[in-house]
Amino acid sequence: MSFNIPIGPQHPALKEPISLRMTVEGEVIRDVDIRLGYNHRGLEKLAEEKSWIQNIYLTERICGICSHSHATCYVQGVEKLMEIEPPKRGIYLRYLVSELERVHSHLLWLGIAGHEAGFDTFFMYTWRDREVVMDLLEMISGNRVHYAINTLGGVRRDLDEALRKKILEGIDVLKKRTEYYFKIGASEPTFVGRLAGVGKLSKELAMALCAVGPTARASGVTRDVRKDDPHAFYDEAPFDVATADTCDVLGRTVVRIKELFESYKIIEFILKALPPGPVAVKAPRKAKPNEVISRYEAPRGENIHYIKSNGSEKPERLKVRAPTLANYPATVEMLRDGFIADIPLIFAAIDPCICCAERTVELRNARTGEERTVLFSDLRRMANERARQLPGQRNVTWPF
Amino acid sequence: MKVAVFLPELLRHLFRKPATVDYPFKKIEVPPDFRGTPFLHPEICIVCKACERDCPAEAIEIRSVNDAEKKFSMIIHNDRCIHCAQCVDSCPTNPKAMEMDHLFELADFDRHNLKKEWIYVRAVLKKEPKPPIAPAP
Amino acid sequence: MAVLKTLLYLLVYPGLLFLFVYSTFAEWFDRKVFARLQNRMGPTHTGRWGLLQPIADFVKLMAKEDIVPARADKTLFTLLPIVGLAIVLTAGLLLPVWMSDPAAPGMVSFSGDIIVLLYLLSLPTLIFFLAGWASTNAFSIIGGTRVLTMLFGYEVPLFLSVLSPALLAGSWRLAEIAAFYRAKPLLLLPNLIGFVVALIAVQAKLERTPFDIPHAETEIVGGTFTEYSGKKLAFFRLMTDIELVVSSALLAAVFLGGFGGGPFLGFVQFIVKTLAVIFLLSVLRAVTGRIRIDQVVTFAWRWLAPLAVLQLFIVILIKGFVL
Repeated sequence: MSFNIPIGPQHPALKEPISLRMTVEGEVIRDVDIRLGYNHRGLEKLAEEKSWIQNIYLTERICGICSHSHATCYVQGVEKLMEIEPPKRGIYLRYLVSELERVHSHLLWLGIAGHEAGFDTFFMYTWRDREVVMDLLEMISGNRVHYAINTLGGVRRDLDEALRKKILEGIDVLKKRTEYYFKIGASEPTFVGRLAGVGKLSKELAMALCAVGPTARASGVTRDVRKDDPHAFYDEAPFDVATADTCDVLGRTVVRIKELFESYKIIEFILKALPPGPVAVKAPRKAKPNEVISRYEAPRGENIHYIKSNGSEKPERLKVRAPTLANYPATVEMLRDGFIADIPLIFAAIDPCICCAERTVELRNARTGEERTVLFSDLRRMANERARQLPGQRNVTWPF
Repeated sequence: MKVAVFLPELLRHLFRKPATVDYPFKKIEVPPDFRGTPFLHPEICIVCKACERDCPAEAIEIRSVNDAEKKFSMIIHNDRCIHCAQCVDSCPTNPKAMEMDHLFELADFDRHNLKKEWIYVRAVLKKEPKPPIAPAP
Repeated sequence: MAVLKTLLYLLVYPGLLFLFVYSTFAEWFDRKVFARLQNRMGPTHTGRWGLLQPIADFVKLMAKEDIVPARADKTLFTLLPIVGLAIVLTAGLLLPVWMSDPAAPGMVSFSGDIIVLLYLLSLPTLIFFLAGWASTNAFSIIGGTRVLTMLFGYEVPLFLSVLSPALLAGSWRLAEIAAFYRAKPLLLLPNLIGFVVALIAVQAKLERTPFDIPHAETEIVGGTFTEYSGKKLAFFRLMTDIELVVSSALLAAVFLGGFGGGPFLGFVQFIVKTLAVIFLLSVLRAVTGRIRIDQVVTFAWRWLAPLAVLQLFIVILIKGFVL
């Protein structure tokens, strides 16, 4: 006796709309059908209308939690297109904010994992400590979310000595608290009982389905853009890639906590080895015709931006491949043969940032259920014909 | 399997002050570089329109009111502004004509109350006076 | 005159009005302790120290729109909250609150009233299941089946652990049990294991963390209460609050020595002892996370039931050799 349960688009377990239609038998899930597109905003089209420098702020607003990762990935690509090289101090400051954002995102995720498991006290404690990082980011960049510290050719603001000391103190406080959370997370029996053995993804499946980020690293796949393709300064910074072997949600939690410790190491290295000098170089207004791919390790995995220019002030095409989109096929495998009670935890364990992943629209015939692909030029032609045929209307009455 | 391993910390919190800030009765001070709303120093503006060109949200509108007197009007649409401060960075004058203040409690019932307008005459760039020659020792 | 006195007992104290006011106070206390344990504020601004917050929630819910799903059975849907509220209020009348005279204590006190009280406290579970079933919503049906599955886990340990002190005292009457333990307070100590088991089982009956699976918010939206809104939801929430007070009063009467010393002192003892039990339940709520339904049944039968049987064994030994 199998019936369908719709999780979403509106559901308390999800922060953003996505539709997961589960076919269940009793309490065991047999199949999942993921439907996207509820959060599509047309960002890639809008990016073709704005100039290079306006697009920094647009790409930043693809997501709220990983805003700096999208902006940095874009700026890295455009700097390659314009063939300019930011100064060393600018690079160090840019990746300082990157690592602080990774800290804030992982603390947020720990709270979400606690909340999905019903462990509200853990949620409140981790979010209280996240305020430390947000206050530091506000002092560095002027805003708690959407830092807007990147500009073409470097960063916009500089760090002075007092602020540098404050950041080091804040990191000390956070280190103590993170060790405490490691202790709790590993030993609170109700919490561990929920996380262990849930959402298994074997190493072969993780590699076959192209999982990225902590989702893949918890299955033993050592894949991290900062080590595989080191750009800027990551080949000088001392850190290790955090992996775990348990292939389940507990492994993903442990990987994220270990990544917090690695981020603290990188932040301390940056602050102690900060070179003096200017923070930005002047960027030209136009870019030569070329195409570039830019990769970046966001807190959720590998973020890829493809940018194509045609010699003018505006990009020809911007394509964003967010890490969550790469983790969706792996999610289907993880949910199979699991319990209904584990759905929120398994889905939250990939750290879904659904608004990052809304890039495609699928057309499905409502009666027969089959798919159709329509070319953009055909859509434009159909819209123009319809506008020509419809009589001009004034003072239209709304049907409701 | 340790049961309730963080019970002592939990009970210690009963005697501490809560970490919540009782907004709106108590407020936190914003840091000095906080990006609030943009505003103009009209006596310095040279109407180069760099801010209008670079604003991602088309929130700055500069029109000419009177060509002969070189009078211009700038409207800042605070309902469209995304508080990125790119206008401040693009402004070429020194000291800058665009500046960000610390206001962030902008909520209103009508979006037209959020637009601010300045009508001013275009400033002329003064030449820097030559520094006086150091007196002979 | 007797009729007037009975009406006063039924409606004002210890009946409807007193239980209503005290249960809102108990909910405030629970929310404030839970918040302070998590380093936040809890209700603060409605009334002094936020005391009026539960009443404000109740009034707000009464004023909201009441929607009945089209496919649901209208009579059953509407009747369930009212019947549930009536059940817990009746259970509240059986508590030994006025202890001025063991010969005429409380509202209604007779031999065997502890069994009736436990029976009346089991009925709300069936009401929740019927509420979930009558809503004809996939989430509510899952919530309803989970409620019944949990019943298989905690009911037996709860009954065994609450009835052990009754066995030691040699009576099935709450007033006499409490009087027995007030006369010999040292005999409370052997019942400690039973107290711990009863606390955990009561937490499961009240559907609070770690056992709030039936209305787990992040998994099945509202569980059994998904389709309820407006006045019906207000009654269900009031019912859970009064259930909290009645269960903690039951535990206080059986394990902590009841409420004696005349009408005024008995009232003060009632408040203090029930708040102490509610404090322990709030700490239990803050310390743990939610566990899965199969883990509940495993936990209950592997740990709670053997401990309750052990408690029974200790009681029988003491009764045989000491008394």
